[in-house]
Amino acid sequence: MQIEVTGLSHSYKKDTPFEKKVLHNLSLCINEGEFVGLIGPTQSGKTTLAQHFNALFIPQEGSVIVNGRDTADRKADLIKLRYEVGYVFQNSDYQLFAPTVGEDIAFGPNNQNLPVAVVEDRVRQAMSQVGLDFDSIYRRDIFALSGGQKRRVAIAGVLACKPKILILDDVTAGLDPRGREEILGVIRKLHAEEKITIIFISNSMDEIAELAERIIVVDRGKIAFDGQTRTVFEQADRLCAIGLELPEIMTITNHLRKCGYHLPETVLNMEEALQAIASSLQDGQVND
Amino acid sequence: MELTKNITLGVYLPGKSFIHRLDPRTKILAAGLLIALLLFTRSYEAYSLFTLFTAAIIVSAGIPLGYAARGLRPMLPVLVLMWIFQLFLYSTPDADIIFSWWIFTATDAGLHMGNLITLRVLFLFMVTTILTLTTSIVSLTDGLESLLSPLRRIGLPAQELVMTMVIALRFVLILAEELDKIVKAQMARGVAFDRGNFIQKTKKIFPVFLPLFINAFKRAEELITAMEARSYSGGKGRTKMKTLHMGRVDLTAGGIIIVYAALTVYIIMSVAPRI
Repeated sequence: MQIEVTGLSHSYKKDTPFEKKVLHNLSLCINEGEFVGLIGPTQSGKTTLAQHFNALFIPQEGSVIVNGRDTADRKADLIKLRYEVGYVFQNSDYQLFAPTVGEDIAFGPNNQNLPVAVVEDRVRQAMSQVGLDFDSIYRRDIFALSGGQKRRVAIAGVLACKPKILILDDVTAGLDPRGREEILGVIRKLHAEEKITIIFISNSMDEIAELAERIIVVDRGKIAFDGQTRTVFEQADRLCAIGLELPEIMTITNHLRKCGYHLPETVLNMEEALQAIASSLQDGQVND
Repeated sequence: MELTKNITLGVYLPGKSFIHRLDPRTKILAAGLLIALLLFTRSYEAYSLFTLFTAAIIVSAGIPLGYAARGLRPMLPVLVLMWIFQLFLYSTPDADIIFSWWIFTATDAGLHMGNLITLRVLFLFMVTTILTLTTSIVSLTDGLESLLSPLRRIGLPAQELVMTMVIALRFVLILAEELDKIVKAQMARGVAFDRGNFIQKTKKIFPVFLPLFINAFKRAEELITAMEARSYSGGKGRTKMKTLHMGRVDLTAGGIIIVYAALTVYIIMSVAPRI
């Protein structure tokens, strides 16, 4: 078990008149090599939960054990832990600060006091992992990059720390379709080739259905569902009840089913949908 | 980790108390009067009275005392530093030496100066905090604007001035929230803000303040666009959604504050100042 959360509770602005409980006695486990989609309506507490995984929040109640270390333990090396658990924020503007792309990506490894040669090697590797060409982009001004490129630089900056777990907090938000596809491709590749555990927070059910193997649904600070992607989306009604939408493709197939096509109830991506529709047409099982 | 938790200046705590119901102009004038009195307060006796009075206001406004004090927490290092400076650097020819070591000499005059100056800053902060905690940003704007409007005749752009001030106040909290996120983003890449020597620590400011400033400018530009998109063109011809009314509560509050001011003036006149 890589991440083990037991009985975690958290209040925002604790001890002030604005105190608000955002996590209620929450427990979960995440295993090595998993691709977990973390979803929930806005203000459900998913970001707060995820920020407990790399000790940006220390548990107020309950415990969080990551790679065998208790984050509430005062003696635990939290800096080292944060290298092992990379966290990419939604807004890359909060992270990027150096004048050039290369310097910004090198920031993490430099904090680890690694030799220059190793740092350069890490930067090269991280840039190739996110599909940025080292020689042409290395010296570029960060603030002259496009949104999608900035997002990739931000991911590279975290990858350069060599994390074993990567948390991506709504990293496709506000990107154009092409930038979004590029980022998703990068994430898919990281999981498939580097076997990094990925925790993917997103508001897009399409992305979650397409990428995640397991889904954890957080609703009002509690875990509403936790299971294989297909199993979770099978409970479409209950998902809608807590204010989540179904993947677009499922809305379409559901509609087609109502029109008489014989299609399965849960369809997670375009490919599945096309196959199902094709076989339904071949069998001629269309009831009018 | 939460930076915004300790910020009380510029925060509005909604409520229905006597203080909340006052006309913003009453509150602004009262705060102004209290601040003016503070500048003449030079004795512990007067500060004791001030402490009682502010505590009474805080309690009657329904602000938890702990929360009001929390806002002082981020200021604590500055206050302590100020006190130390006054203690060792201020002295009068006839002062008694209470402590002396190497080149450092503390006198009783320095001690009183340190105490009283620190108290003054502390209370200046308290008075403004109470004002913003009990007054929403909209009524604060309306109140200030109404108070400054006579100065328009001598060419003072009252509305614009107040708008600028209120936006600045608003940005305190917005920037603190952004700072929170930026600090986290850099901590996630292994920055240990509490480690290293002075130069190393100073260097760690850049990864935080550069994004903060860039974002602040961006935000300001967006705000300008948003205001212009809704045809904001300064104070000329602007009307108010809520008009201000002074009522009986304001009269009562005015009475209380005048009695208090008279008492303080009496103490100031009758007790010999310590500095």
